[in-house]
Amino acid sequence: MNQTAKGEILTTDGIPLKVSLRRSERINKFRAFALVLPLTLFIIITFVIPIIAMLTRSIDDKQINTVFPKTFEIYKQWDRKKLPTEEMYATIFGEIVNAEKRAIGKASTRMNYSRSGWKSLIKKSKRKFKKIKEGPYKEQMIAVDKRWGKIEFWKALGEMVDPYTFGYFLNAVDLKYDSNKEIIRQPEKRRIYNYTWYKTVKISVLVTLFCLILGYPIAHLLATLPLKYSNLLMIFVLLPFWTSLLVRTVSWIIILMKKGVFNSILVWAGVIADENRMQLIYNETGTLIAMTQILLPFMVLPLYSVMKTIPPSYMRAALNLGAQPMHAFYRVYMPQTVPGISAGGLLVFVLAIGYFITPELVGGADGQLIGHWIAYHLKSTLNWGLCAALGTILLVVMLTLYWVYNKIVGIENIKLG
Amino acid sequence: MIKTIKVALLALIGLAFTATAYADFTFVSWGGAYTMSQQKGYIDTWGPVKNGTTKVSVENYNGGLGEVKAQVESGNVTWDVVDILPVDAINGCDEGLLEELDFSSWEKAPNGDSFLESIPDNGTGVGGTISPCAAPQIWWTYVIIYDPKAFPEKKPKKMKDFFDVKKFPGKRGVHTWPQAVLEMALVADGVKPSKVNEVLQGEGGPDRAFAKLEDLKGHVVHWSAGAQPLELVSSGEVVMSIVYNGRAGAAILSEGASFDYVWEGQVLDGDWIAIPKGSKNKAEAIEFLKHATTCASQAEQARYITYGPMRSCGLDVIKKGEPWFHNGIAVLPHMPNTKKRLKKSILTDPVWWADHNAELKEQWAAWMAGNK
Repeated sequence: MNQTAKGEILTTDGIPLKVSLRRSERINKFRAFALVLPLTLFIIITFVIPIIAMLTRSIDDKQINTVFPKTFEIYKQWDRKKLPTEEMYATIFGEIVNAEKRAIGKASTRMNYSRSGWKSLIKKSKRKFKKIKEGPYKEQMIAVDKRWGKIEFWKALGEMVDPYTFGYFLNAVDLKYDSNKEIIRQPEKRRIYNYTWYKTVKISVLVTLFCLILGYPIAHLLATLPLKYSNLLMIFVLLPFWTSLLVRTVSWIIILMKKGVFNSILVWAGVIADENRMQLIYNETGTLIAMTQILLPFMVLPLYSVMKTIPPSYMRAALNLGAQPMHAFYRVYMPQTVPGISAGGLLVFVLAIGYFITPELVGGADGQLIGHWIAYHLKSTLNWGLCAALGTILLVVMLTLYWVYNKIVGIENIKLG
Repeated sequence: MIKTIKVALLALIGLAFTATAYADFTFVSWGGAYTMSQQKGYIDTWGPVKNGTTKVSVENYNGGLGEVKAQVESGNVTWDVVDILPVDAINGCDEGLLEELDFSSWEKAPNGDSFLESIPDNGTGVGGTISPCAAPQIWWTYVIIYDPKAFPEKKPKKMKDFFDVKKFPGKRGVHTWPQAVLEMALVADGVKPSKVNEVLQGEGGPDRAFAKLEDLKGHVVHWSAGAQPLELVSSGEVVMSIVYNGRAGAAILSEGASFDYVWEGQVLDGDWIAIPKGSKNKAEAIEFLKHATTCASQAEQARYITYGPMRSCGLDVIKKGEPWFHNGIAVLPHMPNTKKRLKKSILTDPVWWADHNAELKEQWAAWMAGNK
């Protein structure tokens, strides 16, 4: 081995060993990074960027501000007590006439969220304003459509004059801005989101609990039975897992409806009278039953994989040392299954809170969970701002739960298999 | 290895090209029995298809202008004819996404009426076309059906019977969105069908409808997919339900189900066919639309589905040819747009609903939540 005067160790090429090592380390690191690079890029491009883009929509009101910049400048000075002046009418007239068809279409959709009717008013105006050649505009505009003379329509614009808004978030919890941008409650007949949030969380928590109660013994049985039986049982768990979601949902309808299998068996057995058949579907009961069955495998599988690794000798030792079976189970066995409980619980809860097809089909009047409203606004009203706000709240709820979980149990205690 | 991949890729690209070369004419609709009726009614009978010069490929979509918009704006229009709802026909034409049509040379009705005159108004407020881009297709309705066995003596005849749970006890099937329900509630409240839109759109109109809906509180089972209400009625879960009339017609005519209709206050809506702006086969597409809207084609389609042809001459052909349905059963009793029925129908107002959709859907959801 070579050595320099300073006592550094050299490789055969005469480069100091430290430098050479660092170099080869760097190449290795680079290689490792290059290996994960495609995946990282994939996640950033298909997951992180779209999520951020969607979330920013929840406060973004720039689009409408690019269509009516001058009108909104004047609007800020308006007293909002009597109809605006000719100046504001003339400005909005010019901006409607000169706006590009697509931009004005989007703007009218946005305006319609704060007051129903703006959409058709703007579209009609865009068509008919071409005939108006010169001012004064106020009367001519009101002649085209009398809604231009209604102060409520003008007042509704108040919440959009800033390029950023919390209006969508307020909407997502049954609040709104009034024309002076003060926060007020929605009129009672339109309050629906808080109730939906409550219903969604309640159903998700209950489904998670039911899955745990049903899944725990099954997983325990699977983990302790001899292989040839447990394999058979495992197929019973997995078979529904592989069956189409819709097939399972519709099967539940057939089983639970009034003249369905379950009620008919009870009537046949004389448990209930024919005229007292139970309403088990098209309500919350139906939603809970169907969702629990559909999500059960997501609880059983993580629990099973954790229980499988617990040596049976621990329980035997506990019993041997004089613990009551219940006590031994509670003190020795259960704590070891916590990682499985957490993984299964989180998995089921996350899936349940975003569910909407099954509840919609079996839930009747109760079937519209928050996922339904996100899908509805995404497709029907094109109110993507509200979708984004609802989605953001959902994400925050999940992250909060995750944080609380991490504080109480510790995230290292989670095990998927 | 790399060479194999190259060869495979080239082959794939080649395949893609041949595939596009074959599909030289694209017709887009909603799928299922409805698309089947279009296929048999006027695609298979179109000259260029019969003599093999053109192959029409049929695609499904879920409505809305999204795809059309994307194609027109990117300049790569692959659809030639699309089946759309009134609101999209109006907006699409306004926004320049659809080709405008000149109907002057299109087929006249046998009685000498011009093409547009042969699309009758009959009190619905819409005669001719709703937009210069839209060629007529069919009328469909939300209608009430009931199980005759549930009412052995007196049968429900009027819309107010649907809202009368004392006279006609039992649960009602209602969909989970407010469209059509509010119009029906107003009819039950005594508004004439021809006046319903005026009342609904006037001051306090929706609130009046919601007040009438209180009569149904606790007696409603909600459905969300078109096949559900038939299942609800035939299984006895409900005694009456709002359904799409085409679904009910199919169940009765093809499967022998024993439902009866209540023909009052049904809410009518149309389907139109149009050409996306910049279609590569525009001339051919216009010829296709002309063929699809002849009296004969309109009638032919009704052999396979009970939606009503928009042109009255289509109905005339059916009248003469009854029993018209493909399996030899009379079809007119199931049609929503005979003259008599149109007078008792309400034509849904797509523009007003586009304005009030979100607001009323929220109010409707709040009503459903309180209705248990």
